[in-house]
Amino acid sequence: MTGNKIPVGPFHPLLEEAEYFELKVDGETVVDIDMEIGWMHRGHEYISEQKTFTQSIYLVERICGICSTSHPLACVHAIEDIDNIEIPLRARYIRTLVGELERVHSHLLWLGLAGHFIGYDTLWMWAWKYREPTLQMFEAISGNRNHYGMMRVGGVAKDVDPAIIPDLLKILDEIDRKMEMIAKAAKDDPVLKSRLVGVGVLKKEDAIAHCVVGPTARASGVAIDVRKDEPTDAYDLVNFNEIVLKNGDVYDKLVVRVLETIESNKIIRQCLEKLKTVGGPILNNVKEITPGEGIGRYEAPRGEVFHYIRSDGTNRPVRHKVRAPSYVNIPSFVASCKGIPVADVLITLAAVDPCYCCTERALRVVDAHDRPFELDLQRLSRTKTEQIRREIYGK
Amino acid sequence: MDEFKQFRELFGTKIGQVIQKPRRLFFVVKEEHLLEIVKYLFDGIGCRLSTATAQETYHGLEILYHFSLDKAGIYFCPRIVISDKQNPKVLSITALVPGAVWIEREMFDLWGIEFVGHPRMEQLLTLNSPENPNQPLRFGRQA
Amino acid sequence: MGWYQRRLAKSLWVFHVSGSPCNNCDIEILDLLTPRYDVERFGIKLVGSVRHADVLLVTGVFNKKVAPRIRRIYEQAPKPIFVVAVGTCVSGGCCFKESYNTVPVREEVIPIDMYIPGCPPKPEAMIEAVAKLIGVLNG
Repeated sequence: MTGNKIPVGPFHPLLEEAEYFELKVDGETVVDIDMEIGWMHRGHEYISEQKTFTQSIYLVERICGICSTSHPLACVHAIEDIDNIEIPLRARYIRTLVGELERVHSHLLWLGLAGHFIGYDTLWMWAWKYREPTLQMFEAISGNRNHYGMMRVGGVAKDVDPAIIPDLLKILDEIDRKMEMIAKAAKDDPVLKSRLVGVGVLKKEDAIAHCVVGPTARASGVAIDVRKDEPTDAYDLVNFNEIVLKNGDVYDKLVVRVLETIESNKIIRQCLEKLKTVGGPILNNVKEITPGEGIGRYEAPRGEVFHYIRSDGTNRPVRHKVRAPSYVNIPSFVASCKGIPVADVLITLAAVDPCYCCTERALRVVDAHDRPFELDLQRLSRTKTEQIRREIYGK
Repeated sequence: MDEFKQFRELFGTKIGQVIQKPRRLFFVVKEEHLLEIVKYLFDGIGCRLSTATAQETYHGLEILYHFSLDKAGIYFCPRIVISDKQNPKVLSITALVPGAVWIEREMFDLWGIEFVGHPRMEQLLTLNSPENPNQPLRFGRQA
Repeated sequence: MGWYQRRLAKSLWVFHVSGSPCNNCDIEILDLLTPRYDVERFGIKLVGSVRHADVLLVTGVFNKKVAPRIRRIYEQAPKPIFVVAVGTCVSGGCCFKESYNTVPVREEVIPIDMYIPGCPPKPEAMIEAVAKLIGVLNG
């Protein structure tokens, strides 16, 4: 890294100087975008070859801290796919409960960050304040706020004590009320609408060509959701709607996530009600895995997490392949970032909800003659919001 | 599965060993038939490429593509075996599937497999790293 | 420099450096700013530039690609600077010790003054660490 790199101003406390994205701008419009990754590469697939199956489940939890139960769920689905192992009913409900709680916590986290990037710091503080009850529920169920360690091949590790379920339902009611308030605020606020509608559009053909997944795809009209396409665990035993919108801009991505949080609350309520009465074991003890290959996936908050495991009859995987959803979502920036004004780059990049472990957040900006110059994207983004607010409400 | 039956009837002569499970179909293809099968899967029946796994075995370097047919919840997995371990080369599918650009770059980075026809064949994760790990997931690695 | 350290302890400005973490520790650090734990009432603020920082909060098991940058940030920070390592990854490498891409000894990249183990450490543990740091600065 030589001396003519200019750090372009922090737009998030979580960053350090360097360039990871390179934007080519012409005046006020973005012409091209290029990405360099690799600062988080720790070599999971290499380490996995030296661990046993159960140790792999703990290892993949630490790929990402936000979607920290999606990777273990996909991993156990892959191992169970090799031999078509049956899961007891109570374990299926507990798995779905933990997975959906994680979706709520992750979407609230994203909502806070989106608010911070466009200048609504109050939204940040409120979304994260109402995320704390979710973490409390996790602590009651599994013992830790993040990195729960709940998944095992053939079931789950810990049971949910029926005595705490009424308290959990009370906390869920509180989260429900606040989500309704945030949903109404997001849908009715005119400044938010005019700031985000039509920004960073990803068209349906581009979404299909780049194979994007998750809310990024569902906001562009591509109806894919692992929970409906290949229902495992308890997803075929609960009722919920799949949210698909058609414009593909940042506003649609926000609405998809807000509505999904409300649907997740419904699923959590149904699971908690069922766990009061359903009995039985929580683990189907598996003694050995036959040689073969298995594919497992799960719908993480950001999209489809894919795990492939190949076993040769011993207690270690021969090959363990992991593909996080941000890996396919981030290259679609080239399709959604061309031709947008520079002030919108920040929120367009954030709308895909890249898991930080897959991307970093600093930019290097060059003009049409490839000369780098300095740009404070956070300040540009907030100034644009201020301008819009002044236009709508008068000064 | 009907989709599996239809696929095997259409391409039965062009694919090698097949492993069929309730929702997964793993089959071996030769490089000359790869693009035709990918076109059928991606454009013809509307599959989505999830990812591609590379692995070194004693027979050679194996690349396993994973195509997901979302409306049925099933996976088609074509497998290519490259026997030349010193200079592994295979055709790139980025012309048909734009989403495969990063997936193939990662395989080049960690296994050294070159994809003929890729728009940007360079390292993805270890680019500009001060100590180049040099194909760390191959057998002969210095670890 | 006793009087300087006592003034410093009244309002510590913190800069966060991420060296390939899984981002859980980073989210818990940001959690400290939100209304439930709220460290801003102690005068602790997260700043955007390392030149304004008094404390460096480091997370992650360092990757070979990111280690030179962390060294550069440490050198750019105005001394005296306290380096606090948050999480098991920086303290001991966690489960990534055997990888080809991680540095074997993190203390060779930057010197570390204080360790907060945990995966991730709870916000209460981080507040206790801050209190200890303020106690040390106060003499």
